Amino acid sequence: MKLINKRNFIHIVCMSFTLIVCGKLLIEKMAGFTDRHYTENIFTCLFFSVMITAVLALHNHLQRFPLIPVLIGQYVFIIGLVAGFVKLVDLMAGTSTNSLWQMLLSVTVPYVVSAAVYYIAFFRHIKKANSIISQLRE
Amino acid sequence: MMRFIKTKQKGLRENYLELHYEKLDDETAEIISRLDNTFSNIEGTADGRRIIIPAADVLYFESVDRRTFAYTDKMCVEIRDSLKNVIDRFAGTGFLRISKSAAVNVYKIDHLQGDLNMRVIIFLKNGEKLIMNRGYRQGLFDGLERIRGNNKT
Repeated sequence: MKLINKRNFIHIVCMSFTLIVCGKLLIEKMAGFTDRHYTENIFTCLFFSVMITAVLALHNHLQRFPLIPVLIGQYVFIIGLVAGFVKLVDLMAGTSTNSLWQMLLSVTVPYVVSAAVYYIAFFRHIKKANSIISQLRE
Repeated sequence: MMRFIKTKQKGLRENYLELHYEKLDDETAEIISRLDNTFSNIEGTADGRRIIIPAADVLYFESVDRRTFAYTDKMCVEIRDSLKNVIDRFAGTGFLRISKSAAVNVYKIDHLQGDLNMRVIIFLKNGEKLIMNRGYRQGLFDGLERIRGNNKT
């Protein structure tokens, strides 16, 4: 799994944005739902793709700290950002009653899944590296 | 393609390598170059004495207060060169950077272990442990793949 840096930042934002929008469109198509705020939601997706990628990119600069507190800290920061955004939109235009819960779920599920994938990939890499070390020893 | 024959022989006083070739082609030249690197020596000081040690005996290099040290099973040798230059010089012999201030000899690694914080703990053959920074992890994995690839050719 690659670290996010200045060179691949835009690339990762574009990939995340594409995947999120494709996922959104697929779910809407399957559910037969028509998004009345299509443009606003697309720009919201873009905003969160940029912000979350930026927060995750900080990971590279927080290497001297243990990973679990870093992951929790980043999650809390992202959740704070989401809650602030929903509150702001609510003040400006009004949102549905469970919009905060929906947004938190939309962030938490991919975050937890990505963290799990990251962990599994890490231990698989260790296993593979140990097998190479054994081969070099022979 | 060159044949590679490993022979286990009892009663030898020391291990040796012998390379037979009719013409110095590219493959042979590359192997000789790699072996030259492997058998190259490092000059430094230990306990105030000048000393020369084979690069292959070094477990790891470490930079402390702008001074570079090479650690072997039995001693710690201060070398004059910077860590970067040392890594550049011996990269072909299996030294890979594991942090800003250290590089390990992959042939001296016993095994790796991951911890919950996703740090890699490197267990060396002499029982020492080194901690690798997360930022250098991919470099180590790529380096191991590269060395394995080189050893196959």
